[in-house]
Amino acid sequence: MAADKSEVLQGTLDLMILKTLEALGPLHGFGIARRIEQLSEDVLTLNEGTVYTSLLRLQQKSWIRSEWGVSENNRRARFYSITDRGLKQLAVETENWERIAGVIGRVLALEAKA
Amino acid sequence: MSDRALTFMAKLKALFAQRRADSAFDEEMETHLEMLAEKYEREGMSAKEAAQTARRQFGNTTLLRQRQRESRTTMFFANVWRDVRFGVRQLTKAPVFTIVCVLTLALGVGANTAVFSVMHAVLMKMLPVEDASHVFYLHTTGWPDGVSQTGDSNTSFSYPVYRALREQSGLQEVMAFIPMSFSGKAPVRVGAVPEEAAGDMVSGNYFRGLGVGTELGRGFVEKDEDDHTAVTVISEKFWTTHYSRSRDVIGKTLYIKSVPFTIVGVAIKGFEGTEGKRSLDFWIPLQSRPEFNAWGSPAEDGMYLTKQNFWCMKLMVRTEAGVSREQALARTQAVFDQAAYIGVRQKHTDDPTYKLSFMDAKQFDSQDDSFARALKTLMAMVGLVLLIAMSNVVMLLMARNASRQREFAVRLALGAGRTEMFRQLLTESVLLVALGGIAAWAFALGATHALGSWAQIQSNLQPDGTVLWFTLSVLFVLALVFGLAPLRAAMSNSPEMVLRSSATVSQSNWQKMRVGNAVIVTQIAMCLVLLVGAGLLLGTLRNLLNTPLGQKPKGLLVFGVHPQHAHTKEESIAFFVALQQRLRTIPGVESVSMAENRPGSGWSSNNAGILVDGHKPNGIEPGQASFRRNVVGADYFRTMGVQVLQGRDFSDADSPSAPKAVIVNETFAKKYLGTLNAVGHVLSDPSGSESDLIVGVVKDHKYTSITEEAMPMLWTLFAQGGAVNQLNVEMRVPGDPMAMLPTVRKVISQIDPDMPLLEPMTQSAVFEQSIAQQVLFARLAGCFGVLAIVLIATGLYGTLAYRISRRVAEIGIRMALGAQRSQVVWMVLRGSLLLCAAGVVLGVPLAMAAGKGLESSLYGMKSLDAASYALAIAGVALVALLASAVPAGRAANVSPTSALRME
Repeated sequence: MAADKSEVLQGTLDLMILKTLEALGPLHGFGIARRIEQLSEDVLTLNEGTVYTSLLRLQQKSWIRSEWGVSENNRRARFYSITDRGLKQLAVETENWERIAGVIGRVLALEAKA
Repeated sequence: MSDRALTFMAKLKALFAQRRADSAFDEEMETHLEMLAEKYEREGMSAKEAAQTARRQFGNTTLLRQRQRESRTTMFFANVWRDVRFGVRQLTKAPVFTIVCVLTLALGVGANTAVFSVMHAVLMKMLPVEDASHVFYLHTTGWPDGVSQTGDSNTSFSYPVYRALREQSGLQEVMAFIPMSFSGKAPVRVGAVPEEAAGDMVSGNYFRGLGVGTELGRGFVEKDEDDHTAVTVISEKFWTTHYSRSRDVIGKTLYIKSVPFTIVGVAIKGFEGTEGKRSLDFWIPLQSRPEFNAWGSPAEDGMYLTKQNFWCMKLMVRTEAGVSREQALARTQAVFDQAAYIGVRQKHTDDPTYKLSFMDAKQFDSQDDSFARALKTLMAMVGLVLLIAMSNVVMLLMARNASRQREFAVRLALGAGRTEMFRQLLTESVLLVALGGIAAWAFALGATHALGSWAQIQSNLQPDGTVLWFTLSVLFVLALVFGLAPLRAAMSNSPEMVLRSSATVSQSNWQKMRVGNAVIVTQIAMCLVLLVGAGLLLGTLRNLLNTPLGQKPKGLLVFGVHPQHAHTKEESIAFFVALQQRLRTIPGVESVSMAENRPGSGWSSNNAGILVDGHKPNGIEPGQASFRRNVVGADYFRTMGVQVLQGRDFSDADSPSAPKAVIVNETFAKKYLGTLNAVGHVLSDPSGSESDLIVGVVKDHKYTSITEEAMPMLWTLFAQGGAVNQLNVEMRVPGDPMAMLPTVRKVISQIDPDMPLLEPMTQSAVFEQSIAQQVLFARLAGCFGVLAIVLIATGLYGTLAYRISRRVAEIGIRMALGAQRSQVVWMVLRGSLLLCAAGVVLGVPLAMAAGKGLESSLYGMKSLDAASYALAIAGVALVALLASAVPAGRAANVSPTSALRME
């Protein structure tokens, strides 16, 4: 495996999926995987199956819901969309993430003192 | 709702849609893979290559499917279900172990529950009345001389005492109740068939004072007592059995002693009167009609309402809320001291005071002492059985799980989680105790009813759930502790250690063996106590069954008759003489006679004071000359099958106008006349007013009961005696006496359609019933003895078999070094015989102590009966030998080579 690729951080996949659904509206699993792949610009390696584990978890928490529909190339597929609870959760998690990212960024930006 | 709860709900929901969700997910994955492959194809890959890359990119589908399934629904139920299935498999794999454990639990715990429940009901249970702590039965230590007393000596009071207490004692309520007769029953009729039902005549405040409500209608009011209204309240049970709980029962007529009573109420479910063991069917207010005299006494002797020295009323009191029991008793006593002499005589200053006491409103007031004692003995026996059972289950569990140590080690080594193994063992123990509990409950239900009917308690008896739960929880904890101990041992040693260690190493735990030995010795000691007890009681039973009765009860039908319309002595004599004539004409009847007290029923008239030919009887003070008597009819001894030694039987010629005749038994003749040739002598009472001519002497025979010692007895004729209001008819018929009953009923109903046959049964059954308590007691004791033996056998077998299995290597070495088979067998047998001997040494003193306690229940047996002890010891030894025979045989068949190779 290429050294410049990173594993997906635990818990971040949920956040990415929520954000994707918020941004693009109802989407099937394949679409979500494509979107993440596209956005990560091949930095992240992802077994696409994992997306479904995440989707199930989110559904159980009622953050997203799903319904069967027909895909763009006429296939029966399950479309996921974000719920109101999910939107609230996304806001909370985004804020959390930014705060932590900020802290880590500042920590890493410290220059060693001579 | 929190996210966690939402998740759980979603999982729970998914539990019911497993399969659909599975296929939906498969479809979703399939679509995803296809779309991914298409994408790669579009990017220029070959179809095959694209499919492969898509799979790689997607990841392991099987694993994913499994993960999805696991997180989609909760695994809790699946796990529990798996554990239960595993537990059931483990238990069915060892069926003997399982059956023995479950049966042991069922019998031990079930018997314990049943006996405790009955004991609780008999000794502890309060009456189902409102605020029972303020309600008391009134008892007295005595009554002034000159009183005519009927009923139980310590619970009878006169009508004036009742009125005085009500009006002057300041008690909140004084309730009176009087049984309809000595049996408590009275003839009643609902439809066309006359029958007997138990009832009390009660004061108007009875229901209100006790705080007992009604299912339907009303209880009594003061006016019912004052006007002696012909109304009745029936019990909920009677309502159910006779009126099928019909709500329009109110206003219907119930004939009691041929008098129509209007039903005004149905007492609340569970209240069956204040007569202890006897549950009542109806209550009526105090009546003034002559046929409703207290206890069914002849009105000629004086009515309870007007004859002021007739002590026959039972009383209960309710104290005021705020007044202590002692204060209330003191005030009641003060009133009683005066009232006791009303209508009797003047109170003298040197008269002793008769102490009143308040007895708790227990369900059973006048406790039958012998009965309570029998129950306590049973309880002790059951306790021993329970102890044996518990230690047995624990030992079996320990032995079984210890022998599974290797299995645990292997499973741990193969990666089984500790929690999982813990959970599995836990499930097994719970399963075992639960199965045992179910069986125990079933057993307790049956046993409680059996015991209840033995105790003649029909009063809503149920096995006590608390006791059952308590014993089961104790068992469960024991099962847990001892069942899990080996697992702990297996875990604390590293798996390799246990796997490597050989049987010889694990044998070295002497301490564990000593504990096991102590348990076995104690068990054997307890078993010995039980066996000795059972032996003594069974010996008693044998003596009871083999005691010659001196008469031929077989082929005799007996039933009571109580004429409703004979109010004077002459009327009743005429009635019974006519009845005897009429019954004799029934085809097939060999002879008919009558008796006031039914032989074998325990009833008897006991008298003292007699003169023989006007002199002291054989030098004995007349007042000291005590005897039992019975009032009978013509042909009595021929009918009963009693041998007449001298003179003759009573005959029809002994009419009211003929000279008064009396027949005595051998003991009477020898004791009071000094000779068997008593015929022709005259008996008279000390005042000399009445004299009877002895016309016959009969062989001694049993009168009140089988256990009765021979004592002086005399018989007189009802036709020549005072008023009798009820007689028992004895009929000798060929074949089954009960087959004659329908014919007799028809004849009797022609005489009076309202007259039921009272307690019809065979005379043999009367005697059987008289020892029913001892019979059941002895049989139960026998059962417990056998139970103990079986338990000991299984316990011993289990432990020995386990030990032998741990010693295979040792035995192999011994045999390799030249030990003979017989030596190996002897080694095993000697071990268990030693244990047995130790148990006997410990058990004999215990058994002697227990035998002392049993002494009063024995008949014709000494508590130190050598045969019982010898049998018990032989029994224990035999069981020990038998239980060790199989393990010993197994040990003898150990092949040295294979035993050593096994290690």
